[in-house]
Amino acid sequence: MNEVGLLDVVVQEEFDRDPTLVFLATNSPAALRGRFGADRVRICAISEQAMVGMGVGAAMSGLRPIVDLNRASFGLLTMDQLVNHAGRMHYQSGGGYRVPMVVTAATRGRQQLGPQNEQCTYGLFMQTPGLTVVVPGSLAEACGLLRTAVRWPGPVLYFVAPELNRQRGLSAALGTPPLPFGVAALLRRGDAATIVAIGGAVPVALAAAESLSNAGTDCDVLDPRTLAPLDVPAIADSVARTGRLIVVDDGPRSGAPVQILGRLAERPDALAALGGRVGFVCQPDVPVPSSPALEDLTWPTEQRIVDEVRRLLDADG
Amino acid sequence: MTSIPATLEETAAPPADLASLFAGMALIREFEDRLLELRKAGEVVGPVHPYIGQEAIAVGVCAALGDGDSVVSHYRGHGHALARGVDLNGLTAELFGRANGVCGGKAAALIGDPRRNLLMSSGIVGAGIPVAAGAAMTAQVRGDSSVAVAFFGDGALGSGVVHETLNLASVQRLPLVLVCEHNGYQAGNRTEDIYPEVSVLRIAEAHRVRAVAVDGNDVLAVAAAARSAVAAARAGEGPTFIEARTYLTKFHLQFERPSPEVRPPDELAAWLQRDPLTVALTRAAELDIHLSAEPLRAEARARVEQAVQAARSAPWPAAAEVHTHVLAGAA
Ligand SMILES: Cc1ncc(C[n+]2csc(CCOP(=O)(O)OP(=O)(O)O)c2C)c(N)n1
Ligand SMILES: [Mg+2]
Repeated sequence: MNEVGLLDVVVQEEFDRDPTLVFLATNSPAALRGRFGADRVRICAISEQAMVGMGVGAAMSGLRPIVDLNRASFGLLTMDQLVNHAGRMHYQSGGGYRVPMVVTAATRGRQQLGPQNEQCTYGLFMQTPGLTVVVPGSLAEACGLLRTAVRWPGPVLYFVAPELNRQRGLSAALGTPPLPFGVAALLRRGDAATIVAIGGAVPVALAAAESLSNAGTDCDVLDPRTLAPLDVPAIADSVARTGRLIVVDDGPRSGAPVQILGRLAERPDALAALGGRVGFVCQPDVPVPSSPALEDLTWPTEQRIVDEVRRLLDADG
Repeated sequence: MTSIPATLEETAAPPADLASLFAGMALIREFEDRLLELRKAGEVVGPVHPYIGQEAIAVGVCAALGDGDSVVSHYRGHGHALARGVDLNGLTAELFGRANGVCGGKAAALIGDPRRNLLMSSGIVGAGIPVAAGAAMTAQVRGDSSVAVAFFGDGALGSGVVHETLNLASVQRLPLVLVCEHNGYQAGNRTEDIYPEVSVLRIAEAHRVRAVAVDGNDVLAVAAAARSAVAAARAGEGPTFIEARTYLTKFHLQFERPSPEVRPPDELAAWLQRDPLTVALTRAAELDIHLSAEPLRAEARARVEQAVQAARSAPWPAAAEVHTHVLAGAA
C-alpha cells in the first residue's frame, strides 16, 4: 500500500487478528485479497469520495475499514466525507456513534509527479476537529502507528512518505508494537536547539543532527508522530530548555510547521525562551514543481537543516 | 447581448487528409518511443504515461477542431498536446524540466498551453471534465460557436463529478465533446472487473447525452465522429459523448521501469495487429490513397531528434522560478 510494501504485511497480520477489518482501494494488494477474499478486500473504481463515504457507513455499523487513497492529492476529493462526516459524527451524535476508519495516503517522493500529485496535505487536517492525523517518521513507526490506527475508536488519517520505503530493518520494523497516539518520540538529545521533524523529514533531520553533533553541537530531535493530537508538552519542554526551534517538514511551511509553532502559545515559558529564535526548513509555500532543478529547492535537506541550526546559534548567545 | 469580447477566433478545420493524419500519428509514436528510452536513461523527468496504440483518437479528434476551440487533457497527454499543435520543442523541453519548456519546467507532462487553448492536462482522474464544460459555457455565453473537448480514460466514469457534469452539460446544452478513450484498463485493473458493463455509452445516454461508439484505432472513423460531434455542438445541439474503443499496447506508465501489470498475450497480439498506424495504411489501400509510411515516420523521427538535442542543451530554470506564478497578480 502507499508505496511502502511492508505495510501490506502489517495489514495482513491485523486482518488475521480482527475479522471486522475490511480494505477498500483502487489497487488493493493481491496477496491480501488472495488470503482474505473479495468480500473483505475490495477493488473499487476510481471513486474516492464514495469509497470514503462507504468507509464512514461501514465504520458506523460495525466494521473497521481501511481506505487506501494511494496519493494524498486524491484525498482532497474526499474532504466532504472526511471533514463533514467522518470527523463530525461522534460529536454530532452526542457520542452515540463512532467512526473507526483508517484512511491512508502517500505524501511526496522524489518522483516528479508535479504540482498536483506531490503533496503533504496533513497540515490541512490539523484544522478539522474530529480527525486523528498520523505521520510516521520511520519504517518502524509506520508499522507501529498503523497497528494503533486499526485499533483506534475514531477516524484516523495516516500519511506515509514514500521515502520510508528505502529504510532497512524490515523484520525489526514489522515487530514494532502499537505506538501511542499523541506522544512525540525524542530521537536525539541535546541542549543547543530543538528540531521538530515530521514524516519523511525525520531521517533527514536525524542525519543533520548527527553531523552537527560530530561538530560539537547537540540538538533534541523530536518526532511528533501524530499531528492531531499533538504532544505540545514534549515540544514545549524541549524548547523551554534549548531556546531554539527548527521545524523540518516535507510539507508547506503554512501547514504543520506554522501550526506547531502556534501551539506553543499554550506555553508562555516556551515562547519566551525562544525569543524569536525560530527557523523553518520545509517546502516553501509554493506548489511542488516538476523540474528537479526547482523541486530540489522545495525539500528539507541535511545541509539546509544544519545551516538553519547554525543561523539560530549565531543569532545570539 | 453579452459584453464579453469574442477573442477566440473561429477557424473552421480544413478537411483532414489521410496523409496528414498519418503524419500526426507518426509524430506521437516517434516522440513517445524516444521518450521511453530517455526516461529509462533518466533524462526525462516524472512518470511517462505512453499513449502508444491510441494515437488515432487524439489526431482524429483534433483534426475536427479549429484554433478557437478548447481542449482538456489528462496525465496521458503527449498525444493530445502534439495533435493540438503544442510546440514540439517546448513540450520536449518541458519533459526535460528545462526553463524553455511550455510551462517553464513546472508541469512535466501535465501541461497547459494557452497558445493552443489546451487548458490543462490534469493528474486527477475525471477532474478535467467539468473544466471542459466550463470552457464550453464560455463559448455559449460568448456565442462564438467554438466548442470544448475533454479527453479522458474509461476510468473517469468511476468518478462522481463526471456524472454530475454529464447532467449539467445535457440540461444546459453545452457545446462539449466528451471523448472517452476506452482502453479496457485502469492502471492494473481491467475495466470489465470493476464496471457493471464494459460499454460506457449507456451512462451518457442515461443523461440524455448523444452517445456514439467509434473504432478508436481507425483515424478516419474517429475524425468523422468528431466532425459530426463538433458540428452538432457548434449548431447549438449540445454535447456528444464519443466512446472510442482502443488499447494501450505498452503499459500504464514507466519511470525507470514499466509498471508491472500484465496483459493477456492473445489480447495484446490482436490489438497490435490493429495498431492505428497499420489501420491507417489499410484504409489508404482500401480508398486508393497513396500513403508511404516510411518517409513520414522518418521525418517525424528527425523532428523528434532535433527537439531532443535542443532540450538537452537548454538551461535549467533559475532558482527564483520556484516562487513565480504562485499567486496571480504577484510575479
Ligand atoms: C482521482 C484519482 N484517483 C486515482 C488516480 C491514480 N490513477 C492514475 S491513472 C489511473 C487509471 C486511469 O485509468 P483510465 O481513466 O482508464 O485511463 P488510462 O490510464 O487507461 O488511460 C489511476 C487510478 C488518479 N490519477 N486520480
Ligand atoms: Mg483506461
